Amino acid sequence: MNSAPKVADLLHDPVLEGTRIVAGAAGLERRVTDVHWYDGAFTGVADNLVVCDEAQANPPYRLEATVRRAQEAGAAALLVVAATARPLLSTVRLADRLEIPVLWLESGAPGQIVLELATLVRAPEQVRARTVERLLRQLSSKRTGQDILTTAQTVLSAKVSLMTSDGTCILGDPVVLDPRLHLDQAVPQHGEHLLVHPVLDPQVNRLAAWLACPFERAADARLDVLAVGLAMTEPFIRSWLSGQRAQADRDSVFRAQLVSEIVAGRDSVSRDVVEGAVSLGWRLPGWHVGIHVLSDATGPVDRERIVDQLTAALAGHGIELVASASRGNGWAMWITTDDEPAPEDARKLVRAVRLVTAALPREWGLTAGIGRPHRGPNGLAESLGEARDAADLARSHDFRPAVEHSDELGVARLLATWQRSDVTRAFAETALAPLRDPAHSHLLNTLHAYLESGGSAVLTAQALGVHRNTVTTRVQQIRDRLGVDLDDPSQRLALQVACRALGV
Amino acid sequence: MSHVDADPLGLIAEEHVDALAAGATLLGSGGGGNVDLAEQLVRHGVRRRPVVVRRAADLPPDAHVVHVGVAGAPDVLAERLIDPRDMAIAARAVADQTGGRLDAVGIIEIGGLNALAGVVAAGELGLPVVDGDLMGRAFPSINKTTMALAGGSAAPLSVVGPAGDTVVVTTSSAAAAERLLSSTAGAFGGAAALALYPTTAAELTRTGIAGSLSACVALGAAFHASPARQVADLAEHLGGSMLFEGRVDEIRPRDGVLPGSITVSDRTTGSAARVDLLEEFLAVTVDGITRACTPDVVVGIDPTSGGVLGTTQIRPGQLLSLISLPALHPWPASADDVVGPRAFGLDLELEEVRR
Repeated sequence: MNSAPKVADLLHDPVLEGTRIVAGAAGLERRVTDVHWYDGAFTGVADNLVVCDEAQANPPYRLEATVRRAQEAGAAALLVVAATARPLLSTVRLADRLEIPVLWLESGAPGQIVLELATLVRAPEQVRARTVERLLRQLSSKRTGQDILTTAQTVLSAKVSLMTSDGTCILGDPVVLDPRLHLDQAVPQHGEHLLVHPVLDPQVNRLAAWLACPFERAADARLDVLAVGLAMTEPFIRSWLSGQRAQADRDSVFRAQLVSEIVAGRDSVSRDVVEGAVSLGWRLPGWHVGIHVLSDATGPVDRERIVDQLTAALAGHGIELVASASRGNGWAMWITTDDEPAPEDARKLVRAVRLVTAALPREWGLTAGIGRPHRGPNGLAESLGEARDAADLARSHDFRPAVEHSDELGVARLLATWQRSDVTRAFAETALAPLRDPAHSHLLNTLHAYLESGGSAVLTAQALGVHRNTVTTRVQQIRDRLGVDLDDPSQRLALQVACRALGV
Repeated sequence: MSHVDADPLGLIAEEHVDALAAGATLLGSGGGGNVDLAEQLVRHGVRRRPVVVRRAADLPPDAHVVHVGVAGAPDVLAERLIDPRDMAIAARAVADQTGGRLDAVGIIEIGGLNALAGVVAAGELGLPVVDGDLMGRAFPSINKTTMALAGGSAAPLSVVGPAGDTVVVTTSSAAAAERLLSSTAGAFGGAAALALYPTTAAELTRTGIAGSLSACVALGAAFHASPARQVADLAEHLGGSMLFEGRVDEIRPRDGVLPGSITVSDRTTGSAARVDLLEEFLAVTVDGITRACTPDVVVGIDPTSGGVLGTTQIRPGQLLSLISLPALHPWPASADDVVGPRAFGLDLELEEVRR
């Protein structure tokens, strides 16, 4: 059993909705152990909330003696129900002086109020059970998110909102976030004025959104009821979300539209967008790494199949694509994590994408660009933009599949200035002269691919569509012809720049 | 039996008029009507011929006494001079109903205007005024008297208007008398001369409040003699007690017959007093404990000027001192329904009142 509620706690309970504190606010922190209907006697009312009706307050002078006697008897507070009368100032002063709260409820059935308050104080678990039952009964027939929230609000007599981890409101009234809440951890929490309950993603059991219930103050028992209420509402919201998603999945145009809106809207994305994103399981507030995939296949391509295979293959590398949506001439996809990805994650990702695209059929002609990690809806837009640029660069290579990471674009730009310089050009002409004749163009291509793939025979073989041994043989031939040591980083760098300068 | 301990007056002469007016104002308990005009009348009358004052017990037992005064709205009474001859006509009209004899004039209430009206009527009729009254203070009803409590009737009574119109009620119940009186006074323009409670000196000795006229003059004299005008000293000087002093914070007007309330707050101590009032101050409750209530006399005093304040003179923001004076008459417990707080619609916790 929880400790007895304070007078102020009871005041914030829906039972006492509309109650005014007329006087004696200094006593609001007193604990109430029971509720007593004033029948003319003040025996055994110590620490009780004494409830009286209009007879005690009209004519108003009557209340003064009642206040004094209630205080003398040790009552915690006095509640006057169904009184249109105004208390006298002298009564207000007296109650202030005696520090006994005088609460005023202008309309209400005193008997009913005593009954409900008594249950609230004596048996809070009954109130909880009743609330749970009512909530269950009413929620079972609700279909839309708004209906579910409205029902929860009515039954709990509290405001309930659905929001994202960064506090963006999806349904219901905007909520003021409590900085002490850890919204990155999917467990029910309560701050000073906010109760939150995680809504889990129906398919991957990960945080999708939060149910939030702001409260001004409340007794432990009331918080309990609210917490249970939120926990009861969560599955309904979750099932609504998954229904939304099923619907949304059918409509990839919707996703493409959403992505373009996020990209266009950046940080000021509209509520509809956020709502749509959550219904799709997109966690906009997290860290995003964008991947842009292009296909320059000549024949008709089954886009869905390409995306599905990519997704499945990447999943094999432990990389989970959040979503893909058509964007421009390709697909925008991204990975979302709750924490900022480490630099080595980026390298792993590039490697994984290279491996995966290399494993896919060559005729699809895939090129991919990868963006840097950024945070929030704005970050997603940023990263997707970078990915697209990187993909465009990758496309300029004449081998397929080609993968570029945005981080390396800076280097690429630097290299580009070298490639264009006459000195570099002259060096390239001489250094690569042994491979320049058309009969050896395959060796030049192999050298380029070999250097671009970081000296990996396997990747070079995949990129060129030849056997690995062929690559090894060719590399040996190149070494012989050029008379260079390909294991020397300086030599490799010089040759790579030379390859690019010649536009191989 | 009732008595008031003050040196009995032999007559009321000009030197007593100030004290009489002051005493009547104090005993008015905030009501009873403004005495200023009547004070002029008494002064004018006694300057020619002082009024003889007699205790009921000192009159022949069969002496016929009629109680004379004025009735009507306080605002009208404060402005319109009552012709002493109207009171004489009213007294004689009642005497005519009871055998024609009229030997002395009685005072209906010693609080407020009527204390002086009785003296004026006695002077006009050339009769002695009885040293006593029927209320011991001011009450807003002719039924809240010792005689009514003892089973006496106000009728025959007469009401005389300013044009000499005379209404005589030969027989009446107490409730009807009250209504007839107010409607007749209304018909006469809001104020009228009044004569009622015809009785004998022997009866009056038994049921009247003896010596209250002397007590009233003595009280007024003590009020004027109180030097420092410190209200607490004044209360002691008058034989009363200091109840409260503070600033008027709220005035809640009466609601028909339900009393209104004034909240007086003491900013230094934080305590607050509630003054319940109708025509008169009825009760003073300090911090939830009733310290004085009717039939005790409650006097409101402006501590800055030292003047007595009536119920209609209280203004928000004003400093107000409240003192209580002991009732001139020890009303029996059976009188609570007539003169106690309940008679005015106040349901106070009386065990607290008597301290």
